[in-house]
Amino acid sequence: MTTPLLETRRLSIRFGGLVAVNGVDLRLAAGEVLIIIGPNGAGKSTLFNMISGIYRPSSGTVHLNGHDITGRPAHRIAAAGIARTFQSSRLFNDLTLVDNVVIGMHTRTRTGVIDALLRPRRARAELDAAAERAGALIRLVSADLYERRHALAGTLPQADRRRLEIARALASDPKVILLDEPSSGMDERDTDALIKDIHTVMAERPGLSFIIIEHDMRLVAALPERVMVIDYGEKIAEGHFSEVRLLPRVQEAYLGQKAAHA
Amino acid sequence: MMHQPPVIPASSGRGPVADLSIVAAVELGGAVVLGVFLLADDPRIIVALLGLMGAGFALLQFRPAIEERIVAAFRAARRAAMILGAAVVLVYPFLMQGSSYALHLLIIAQLYSVLALALNFQLGSANIPNFATGASYGIGAYTSALLAINFGVSFWLTLPAAALVATFFGFALGFPSMRTRETYLALVTIAFAIVIHQLLNNFSWTGGPNGLVGVPAPVLFGHSFADPIELFGRRLPSQANFYYLSAALVALAIISARRLHDSRIGLAWNALRGDELAARCQGINVVWYKILAFAVDAFLAAFAGSVYASYVSYISPDNFTFLVSVTIMTMVIVGGMDNTLGVILGAFLLTMLPEKLRIFADYRLLFVSVIVILFLILRPQGLFPQRPRSYGGRE
Amino acid sequence: MDAQLAQYLMNWLVLGSIYTLVALGFSLLFGVLDVIHFSHGDVSIVAPFVVLATVQALISTVLPADSIAALVLACAVAIVAVGLVGVLLDWLVIRRFRNAPAMMALVATVALGTVVRELIRTFYPQGSNPKPFPRLIESSVTFGDLPVPLFSLFVIGVSVLMVAVLFMVMGHTRLGVRIRAVAEDRNIARLMAIRPDRIFAVTFFIASAVGAIGGIFFASYAGVVRFDFGVQLGLIGFSAAVIGGLGSMQGAILGSLLIAGIDTLVQATMADGASYRLVFSFLLVILVLVLKPSGILGKPIMVKV
Repeated sequence: MTTPLLETRRLSIRFGGLVAVNGVDLRLAAGEVLIIIGPNGAGKSTLFNMISGIYRPSSGTVHLNGHDITGRPAHRIAAAGIARTFQSSRLFNDLTLVDNVVIGMHTRTRTGVIDALLRPRRARAELDAAAERAGALIRLVSADLYERRHALAGTLPQADRRRLEIARALASDPKVILLDEPSSGMDERDTDALIKDIHTVMAERPGLSFIIIEHDMRLVAALPERVMVIDYGEKIAEGHFSEVRLLPRVQEAYLGQKAAHA
Repeated sequence: MMHQPPVIPASSGRGPVADLSIVAAVELGGAVVLGVFLLADDPRIIVALLGLMGAGFALLQFRPAIEERIVAAFRAARRAAMILGAAVVLVYPFLMQGSSYALHLLIIAQLYSVLALALNFQLGSANIPNFATGASYGIGAYTSALLAINFGVSFWLTLPAAALVATFFGFALGFPSMRTRETYLALVTIAFAIVIHQLLNNFSWTGGPNGLVGVPAPVLFGHSFADPIELFGRRLPSQANFYYLSAALVALAIISARRLHDSRIGLAWNALRGDELAARCQGINVVWYKILAFAVDAFLAAFAGSVYASYVSYISPDNFTFLVSVTIMTMVIVGGMDNTLGVILGAFLLTMLPEKLRIFADYRLLFVSVIVILFLILRPQGLFPQRPRSYGGRE
Repeated sequence: MDAQLAQYLMNWLVLGSIYTLVALGFSLLFGVLDVIHFSHGDVSIVAPFVVLATVQALISTVLPADSIAALVLACAVAIVAVGLVGVLLDWLVIRRFRNAPAMMALVATVALGTVVRELIRTFYPQGSNPKPFPRLIESSVTFGDLPVPLFSLFVIGVSVLMVAVLFMVMGHTRLGVRIRAVAEDRNIARLMAIRPDRIFAVTFFIASAVGAIGGIFFASYAGVVRFDFGVQLGLIGFSAAVIGGLGSMQGAILGSLLIAGIDTLVQATMADGASYRLVFSFLLVILVLVLKPSGILGKPIMVKV
């Protein structure tokens, strides 16, 4: 197998005495989609936080395209090509939708202070071009959203917030997008629509890799991809969903618990 | 200038004529209100004008459509608005009936506008508390004054020198922002402001508590700024020199503010204001942008400080206390964070109000503080809140 | 022990005790309840003025001129009155900024502090001038051959007592539990039949009353009081609470002792130390916050994602 696009080796983090993620190996090829499932508090989001540079791993490595990016600051990792969304969708609420997506292009735009002050035409032109592209990205994710592109992000309903976050993540031309529970806090109808929109994006960007943390089984089943199961901070299974879901350990850890809650 | 509409534009229709008349009405009306306010001695006129302004803001509060219409007019007739505005600013001293007091108030208000715009980069755009703008102002004033007094350096050279020195301090002050945030960062800046004030107060080479006396006035093409201006057979008091100088500085500050706001830099600041963590994940080097905001603030504040020193020719540490920083901060918040016009309006109001309220003699500071508190409770978003950015040609 | 050294040590402890009394208020309000109250120093310095006015009123009416009872009574009146002033200011102004951005509350309470100062300046007779303030206790005792002013021992003793009482209240009483419940989650506290407004009022009373004791000691220690003393006292008290670690009462004490220590050390060792004491105190504040952003005893701030 060639060098994977994204690879973690024995990735671990401890908070005080608690081991939140323990020795997780992950490999993702270009254009591939990986779904991560696992019960609440299993360490899925923590894994994302380490990959995207918010937490510094206690041990283990993260490689992107063969380059070691372990423990680099978040903005450098974003510039290297890893974009993400947040479980609690963190948008810039007091800015417009377009502003939000243009901010996502920060690493793809160049204007510095001196340019902005002394060459305003160029700075303006760059920003206008970025706004153009931002509009296109918003339309790609959802045509309805495009109509509201000059509204403030804070006024959007939950499902649209997720869509806007995906558009913002796409804006940096990333190699990998990490989606942290895109369906969380949404009802079935919204989830179905969102799945459709994610499919559209995937079809439009075949080279782009995705890692999706998901709780919603319907969404997992609807994305027929490789699944990785995490429990107590450790990888307990990996494979296709139809096989993984039959493993007793997975049923016990995740589906069993889910059933118990139902 | 104050763009406070004294009359509601009769025409609210669209079209270039309507736009032009709205722009003209707002700018000229604002100029007239300001002029009457400046020249009025009678307390009744002052109170009446304040009432009128209050009514104007109440109207805007309850009828936001009016504000929208005015903003649209200014966007549509941008060039005309700028030309007319510049003309008003240029002609204004001639209309002040030779009153050096009115000109003095205008100079101070303009210098505070620059300071408030400087702070706005941090507080308004990026939500970084900085209680040290007054200290940067002081560093600028002292650098400029010391160079001029001790080495006879020309004002025009001390200006950039002061800005460089203050920017250096700005960078230094920005470093703690790597690790501290919000109230903790606010305390770091307060501590910095106190240290600077105390040092100015104690060093012998800064003149200690007595400060520096005899800062020379700038000379431009042989014309000393201490001399009156003779033009078109009219004679303007020497303050007019500094009026034009500070007006130019305000223009510089406005242009810088607009350009940075409408660039990737302004967006990055807005991003870290909204959600620092999300900003980092968009590839924004949060630490750099915070330090940058401190540096830009210090740079502009130092300009204002240099002009102030050469204008009053006497500076002392008490011109640059922590409370000066609080005043600047209040101007930004009252005017409207991240809104250039609002910030300038806040600076004008809070400079002139205490001066013109001398009729209340001893009670004026009390009065102004109460107004500020009421204001923060009743209209926390400021007189003119932040407006969404516009891209390309469309509005 | 060297008499000079003993004196410095005593000054350090007295100053540290006074700062602690003010810092505890910040620790309670900001650290525990997350209320920004920058006028706390100004409120504290209202107390000595109330003392002076009350003494004046008492000796011109019911008590003889040199009565110690007048002073004691006046202090009691001042502490209660200032406690109530704190509650009043919260009710009038500060509570309106509970959910506002921190900067709003900061600027509003700074303005509120100006209001308090200006009220003293304009309405207290000749309020702009410094007022002589009596030493609460004049006599001194001697340990070995070292004379120690009773006033110093009194200040330290009262501060230790107040700290002990506050630790008791916060740690071992229903009130303490309720305050912490409100601090944790106002809505859940409400569900448990705790009325947050009442808790805020009580906390403001305690913080302001303890601050008032600090204010009286400060004036008595300096021998003089002026309407604007509260600015510096407040800034130092706030700094002490922050560098010690907000929300930790031990931190407030540690911070106060540190700042008082630098203050005393600079005055003892530098030729013109008196003029540089604030420089070094606030350099210390910057240094601590740069090295330990959440204060010496504060818990590190964890990013929540």
